Amino acid sequence: MKEYRPRYVGTVTKYVFVESPDMTPSDLAIRAYEISLGVMIKETCFGLQITGNQEEVHQIVARLREFDPAHIFVKDRGFPPGDPRRCRANLGGARPGYYGHEFEISLIRYVSKGIEELPGRAPDQAVHPPRAAGLARLDAKKLQKIIESQES
Amino acid sequence: MAKVFIYPTTSLILSDLVARFGHQPLSAALQVREKIQTAGLESPPLQITPEDPKKGLKYAAVEVPSGVRGRMSLYGPMIEEAEAAVIIHDADFSFGCMGCARTNELIQFLLRKREIPILDIRYPRSDDEGVEFVAAIRKFLQDLPGGGA
Amino acid sequence: MSKVRIAQLACGPEYSGVQNEIAEAARSVDAEIFFPDITLKDIRSGYDMFGLDVRSPDLKLAIARARALVEGKVEADAVFIATCFRCAEAAIVRNELRRYIHENSRLPVVSYSFTERTTAGTLLTRMEALTTIARRRALLAREVQEGLTLGVDSGSSTTKAVVMRDNQIIGTGWLPTTAVLKSAEDVIELALKEAGVTRDEIQATGTTGYGRFLVGEKIGADLIQEELTVNSKGAVYLADSQHGPSTVIDIGGMDNKAISVQDGIPGTFTMGGICAGASGRFLEMTAKRLGVDITELGPLAMKGMSTMVPMNSYCIVFGTQSLVNALAAGSSPEDVAAAACHSVAEQVFEQQLQEVDIKEPVIMVGGTSLIQGLVRAMGDLLQTEIVVPHHSQYIGAVGSSLLASGFIKGT
Repeated sequence: MKEYRPRYVGTVTKYVFVESPDMTPSDLAIRAYEISLGVMIKETCFGLQITGNQEEVHQIVARLREFDPAHIFVKDRGFPPGDPRRCRANLGGARPGYYGHEFEISLIRYVSKGIEELPGRAPDQAVHPPRAAGLARLDAKKLQKIIESQES
Repeated sequence: MAKVFIYPTTSLILSDLVARFGHQPLSAALQVREKIQTAGLESPPLQITPEDPKKGLKYAAVEVPSGVRGRMSLYGPMIEEAEAAVIIHDADFSFGCMGCARTNELIQFLLRKREIPILDIRYPRSDDEGVEFVAAIRKFLQDLPGGGA
Repeated sequence: MSKVRIAQLACGPEYSGVQNEIAEAARSVDAEIFFPDITLKDIRSGYDMFGLDVRSPDLKLAIARARALVEGKVEADAVFIATCFRCAEAAIVRNELRRYIHENSRLPVVSYSFTERTTAGTLLTRMEALTTIARRRALLAREVQEGLTLGVDSGSSTTKAVVMRDNQIIGTGWLPTTAVLKSAEDVIELALKEAGVTRDEIQATGTTGYGRFLVGEKIGADLIQEELTVNSKGAVYLADSQHGPSTVIDIGGMDNKAISVQDGIPGTFTMGGICAGASGRFLEMTAKRLGVDITELGPLAMKGMSTMVPMNSYCIVFGTQSLVNALAAGSSPEDVAAAACHSVAEQVFEQQLQEVDIKEPVIMVGGTSLIQGLVRAMGDLLQTEIVVPHHSQYIGAVGSSLLASGFIKGT
């Protein structure tokens, strides 16, 4: 095994996804460049990747969110942008995480809706989170009745 | 601000909402970042070396496949650090870091064993569910020690 | 020569720290690993249509990628399937995908279950075989030996050489491997002497086996080739089974090969090398303990009943202990010899033959195929009459000699 010398030590990279009727990824990129503070910004098909020191990236992300709060989503990325180890061109196919993003992006409009509705909702209002439906078991007496009704 | 384990650990939605509501999401990316920013022996793509599955022995015995132990060497420390967790139960299309069902079962079990607050939820499939999904996550996070926005 | 593109279908190598070993093994045989590019929609439909309901998302992805390969949506030269050792879910997927690809495409495929200890060296022979099948189909299509050629098989236990002329074996040499080059030189001399020809007259040379690179370089071989493709070629050639399906089993000194062959070209294969209890060494130890020569073990075993001796383990240490105990308790040497043969055959059967599709004829080759007791035990387990061709112990050398004739200038 060869020695490994890491690059971009001490930086953070964040994905900024935009899924909005009012803003395209390139609109977002233009805004980001305006406030970039010298950090590295890379435009992608879904939004941006921002790399820099933690505080700068945090500030830019906070300001970008303000442009379209319900439609901009942010998460950390382990790799810096264009890293050959995760680049589609080198792997032949998408990195595994891509499909996970693709899946969540297909649902994200519902989350946007939720974020938009939040201000109109009383803080103490009861919540009914979507939960996986358990299989309801049929009551034995009910089953007996069904059988009897079929027989008569 | 609480450290919140998110499941799937690669989730954009959870990562975003936890941070948005003022807490720190514990995601796979943080562990991967630490790996690839640490000097050592070259082991692309994730800089997980054959030593890492051995570190995973802390969480799973040697007869457990190496892929489970290697993944646990990433997630085990995060589980120990977590002060709360949000678990999405129908995360069937999370690959790579969340690609192994056995690891995922173990992660959930170890989280529950820690007796930290856990929100169990599934992905929203309509606008109404989306509203409840976001509201439930906000409420859960607000109720955590340390509050949140 | 363009790189052979090997599609990887896998769960776990990145997290076991062995992805780089896989990539490295491929690079060393001038091939490259890639991941078939599909969409989330393809994953859903590919996985649903395959019909195997697994929980692990990465296995679903592997299934969908396999479908894309079989349907030709993604082009590849070969397929490498890798999942974690000891994962039952993955083992089922690995086997079914291997079978699915083998039956529905012409892509050579090899499957492997790794641990964190898997290295590029372990994978090298398998990768080399994959690339050979992809790259050298024309060479492997050769059915007749022409001219005067020499083949050398530098194995871990023994070194063999064969001289062939016009489709006939005219000289052989066989010696235990000591110093790799010295043993090779000696068997070549033996084979040349028996053939009555000189080194200068030889028109082309091939080497195979563990020492193939070292020996090949030394003697200036035209073809240096791993033993998986060479042995299957040699086996179907000698067994006169060059067309249609066949299965080749080679229980060697240090590893075993089980190869599913179609028209002389390996389709799927497995190679085991972790356990000495599933190797010829186990039988050597038994012969030594019984005080007979290894050549006598087979006939002895034919007279015995394996079921008369309780074996507690396949292990070369503890299994041999069972044999010793049985002798002390009054078991006959015949029964003990038969039990040893059964033990080796059964372990190969359980651990390797489950990974290839057994199609008749089943051909056993290599030095151990001369131990009749082992052949019988394998035949009993597979419920078939096993074919042991003439010169089966020279299989690698014959295969090399046959394939080397493709390098004679002007042919």
